[in-house]
Amino acid sequence: MGGPELLLEPINTPGVLSAKLLLEGGSAQDAHGSRGSHQLLASLMTRGCGPHDHLQLADLVEGRGAGLRCEAHEDGLLISLRCASDDATDLLPLLAWMVVDAHLRPEQLTLERGLSIQALQRQREDPFQIAVDGWRQLAYGNGGYGHDPLGVEEDLRALSLDQLRTLADGLTSRPSVLAIAGVWPSSLDAALPFLPGFQDWNAATDQQSQKQTTSQASVCSSPQRSDQTLITQPIATEQVVVMLGQATLSHGHPDDLALRLLQCHLGMGMSSLLFRRLREEHGVAYDVGLHHPSRAGSAPFIMHASTGSERADITLQLLAQSWWELASSPLSDEDLSLAKSKFIGQMAHAQQTSSQRAERRVQLRGLGLADDHDQRCLQDLEDLGAADLKRVAAEHLSRPCLSLCGPQSKLDDLSRAWASELS
Amino acid sequence: MELCHAVLNSLALGPLLNHWSLGNGVRCVEATMPDASLTCLDLWCRAGSSSEQHHEEGMAHFLEHMVFKGSFNLDAGVFDREIEALGGSSNAATGFDDVHFHVMIPADKAPRALDLLLDLVLEPTLAEDHFVMEREVVLEEIAQYADQPDERVLQELLARACPNHAYGRPILGWRSSLLAMDPGSMRAFHQRRYRGSNCCLSVAGKIEPDLRQSIEASALAGLPAARDTSCEPKERPLTVECGRHEIQVERLESARFLMLWPMAAAAMQTEVMGADLATTLLSEGRRSRLVAQLRETLRIADTADMDLTVLEQGSLVTLEICCQEDDLPAVEQEVKRQLDHVCDTPPEDWELKRARQLVGNALRFALESSAQVAGLAAGQTLWGRAQDLLQPLNELESWTTTRLQQELFPQLQAHRACTLIARPGAIS
Repeated sequence: MGGPELLLEPINTPGVLSAKLLLEGGSAQDAHGSRGSHQLLASLMTRGCGPHDHLQLADLVEGRGAGLRCEAHEDGLLISLRCASDDATDLLPLLAWMVVDAHLRPEQLTLERGLSIQALQRQREDPFQIAVDGWRQLAYGNGGYGHDPLGVEEDLRALSLDQLRTLADGLTSRPSVLAIAGVWPSSLDAALPFLPGFQDWNAATDQQSQKQTTSQASVCSSPQRSDQTLITQPIATEQVVVMLGQATLSHGHPDDLALRLLQCHLGMGMSSLLFRRLREEHGVAYDVGLHHPSRAGSAPFIMHASTGSERADITLQLLAQSWWELASSPLSDEDLSLAKSKFIGQMAHAQQTSSQRAERRVQLRGLGLADDHDQRCLQDLEDLGAADLKRVAAEHLSRPCLSLCGPQSKLDDLSRAWASELS
Repeated sequence: MELCHAVLNSLALGPLLNHWSLGNGVRCVEATMPDASLTCLDLWCRAGSSSEQHHEEGMAHFLEHMVFKGSFNLDAGVFDREIEALGGSSNAATGFDDVHFHVMIPADKAPRALDLLLDLVLEPTLAEDHFVMEREVVLEEIAQYADQPDERVLQELLARACPNHAYGRPILGWRSSLLAMDPGSMRAFHQRRYRGSNCCLSVAGKIEPDLRQSIEASALAGLPAARDTSCEPKERPLTVECGRHEIQVERLESARFLMLWPMAAAAMQTEVMGADLATTLLSEGRRSRLVAQLRETLRIADTADMDLTVLEQGSLVTLEICCQEDDLPAVEQEVKRQLDHVCDTPPEDWELKRARQLVGNALRFALESSAQVAGLAAGQTLWGRAQDLLQPLNELESWTTTRLQQELFPQLQAHRACTLIARPGAIS
């Protein structure tokens, strides 16, 4: 029997449910020269599928006051549906139709291609985004994580309908998982595989040999290795965006729990080190934090701060100090215990809505992790000591890359400061 | 209409509210959510930027920052550390009308968190050295907004549309107004605004039986009751200066076409819900009028978003369209044509039904987390509208296609808007 694996999570909600369908393989699998193909395909999947053309589809979804999205993330295509429980039987088949029979009409491609290119262009208005793009390029180069899931303008212009069709044809044989969280009609569980769309998915999978997609980790687990550790992008702004980070580990790697604990210590909440040090002790930044998303390959681990030009030197110095001391001095008992409390608290915070619950379920499956991975992490947490965190930092946080975005004259000063920091 | 009734019926299952008041006028509301993993404590105060006097511009927001710098009983940082060590989190936000401070916390820790929160908000130290340091952080926040071209365009629209109203100036204030402030003037603002009748405490989650008792014994009950109105800025109905402006904005990557209209104040709930339906019908989703025409059919716009901001002195409706600079004339013409058209001919039944479903479900989707529920309950209770969370949906029924055409769409005509066109380029 083909079709997605089904995970059910009944939760008391005010008559709503959230469904998340994850297909493995996302923008990290975009071929070079076709960067943006997964996202472009994702956007076209909501523009006509199965028995519905693009207008009928929009009428059906919006007419029920529901929300339907399909997005390419780095590691997968994620289709999200949120609707009233009573509408589930009518709307869930859309998820399968999008996978089995996306129409991919040329006029819709023209429209979505244009919108993607414009969205990429508008992203350049945000200095933070420019700094992220620079960092990604520096850390991953031409690797799968080296570009925004939206793609690259040049590649988007060159993408043909045939290329997208080939990509779409392979969707039914990708590993997939569907999680439904919330309240739904009691008959739905048994009926789901026989709903229109899902039935066709079964048939499509039976015909094809179960092709295994390229292992995700192999595509992007090796970050770019070059000697370059600095990228600067001059723009006429008041502030400088400073990003210091490294491509690290996959979610689920034995050492990643320590990194996530360091993430709590450095960047989670107002008691975090970066918040205290940069905001409270020095007042050099409003926006400061740490970014470490869950990825199948080497996930970024990035400290960031946006700061006035005249204080950019001290900001860089504070970030660098915060980075290097992770491997040179162990966390105090108090800081370690606070980080652990925050880790536990954050698990509860991330399980507030049916949408969060469903997404975590499919994410864990997509990463090849056990359903009780989070509970196991909570147990493993107890055994982690300051020495373990120090060892992991020394091993995985030894070669940070710096991305700077702001006024040219300031970037020159900071580049010199970075060179002497490394010497 | 069957579907609509189905929606309304199941919506009745949303969290139940319980309202009461303390002797000094503090309004309290609790929402019972037995399955919530975290309890939300949300303290609201009528101390947004519109309650600032001349020379206080930006103070409501700056005070929100200063609150977290410690109280007479809690040194700076102690609150954050203790809340986060309990597995909780905290944050705050300042708006035009009000400010709120909230804590998310495991239910059994809620009494302790409540004491900490009230201590922090009601008795801030406002120490000079922290004041000077935190002002630098707020100035960085202002700089960060200034580096976002779309934020600049939106602020410019508000300034031109509401030049004589608090809603027309930035909540963050200006660099000059912040530099002119001192802890004494901030203390005066705090004493003036943080009073019993100006405050509302909202709690959502697993409610412990003795919660009410602990609130009644808390510092909240000790707040002075009366509201000193002798030197309050006069609240006045919002008016919008109609007109058409063009500006150039540096680092803008695509052109923007914006319009802003005044709309009924929050207290006029029937009109507010009508406006919600109207803006949904015009611009939410691919089948809405503006998105269908401008983006899907004519393909002259990348996005077309209409927002209803519900406010106490008069709500605001904004339309923002991103497009290529060359397409600006066509966009302007088509927007005007669409707005004229809904005035001349009532919308179709399916369009109204679609809008009702979208508005109804948006509220229903917002009732899942204790943070959202606490915020929704407090936002209404603070301003004297103690009502069920789903009460606003009852107002939807009275809006027919003809009533929308006759009463609402005429308010959203192009000539009644403040229009702003922003082109990429050097600052003009």
